[in-house]
Amino acid sequence: MTTTFRRTRRGEVVAHLHPEEVSLLRRLPDDLRPVIDAPSPPTAAVDPLAPDALAPEPEASAADPSLGAAHGADGPATDPIRERLFPRAYLDPTEEESEVDWQAIVHPELVRSKLEALSLLSASLDRARAKGGGVEVVLSPEEVEAWLGALNDARLALGVALDISEDPAEQVVAPDDPGAPGLAVYTWLTGLQGELIDVLLD
Amino acid sequence: MTSPGTVTEETVVEEPVDEDKIMGELPWIVIVWNDPVNLMSYVVYVFQKLFGYSRQKATKLMLDVHHKGKAVVSHGTREKAEADVARLHAHGLWATMERETL
Repeated sequence: MTTTFRRTRRGEVVAHLHPEEVSLLRRLPDDLRPVIDAPSPPTAAVDPLAPDALAPEPEASAADPSLGAAHGADGPATDPIRERLFPRAYLDPTEEESEVDWQAIVHPELVRSKLEALSLLSASLDRARAKGGGVEVVLSPEEVEAWLGALNDARLALGVALDISEDPAEQVVAPDDPGAPGLAVYTWLTGLQGELIDVLLD
Repeated sequence: MTSPGTVTEETVVEEPVDEDKIMGELPWIVIVWNDPVNLMSYVVYVFQKLFGYSRQKATKLMLDVHHKGKAVVSHGTREKAEADVARLHAHGLWATMERETL
């Protein structure tokens, strides 16, 4: 088994992936974009996401069923995934005015940077070339940050959808559990992100 | 060392001052909360990247978040705290801000 990531002397990171991993990574942007780029900020009183906004596409990835499941048929009053991706800055309700002002400035920028990371992830995967039975792509420092961000956003979204807990023992599910495919993707993403960080911290 | 509580009490009793003025001068603190998803190594990486903290300090803060449920990671003016919270949210960490309590 080859190492997934290694650093070059020029500060780039070489990613060596299984073709199936590339397929999964390619689906991430399409899965995440509608979650990130909903029409109104998460503090809106009305659910910014229509229940069908996250409906799995015909060619749904393994992550889709669980991402969609968090939104239920009735549509919750608030979207827990977007609340996690875009939390409040002020917990103090008497600072509501400051919170609204802050959201107005920060939220569009957060959306823009998260979407930019997804675009960079896609663009870098377009350069992937077959090598040694796998697929290899060289990532610039900016692309490495984009990968980290996109992998983390995907894990945060899946974490909410799957109600991930800190105790691994609680995350064991039967193979026929509806959450099993999503959990498999989550676990794989966790390993991939962990390997990338280990290379950066080394 | 003296108790901060005693000092506060004496200040209030002997020299009443405009409470709004004190509140306005208090620094803001930025808190990162524990969550079950973010990797410990990732949190260390983000603390080092955003705040320029040493590996040792970033690791200590991360462990505080992990074991105590939260940690104060930066402080300053309201504007600085708002900017820090935005940067932490951009990296997927769960951060909030509040006035430092006396």
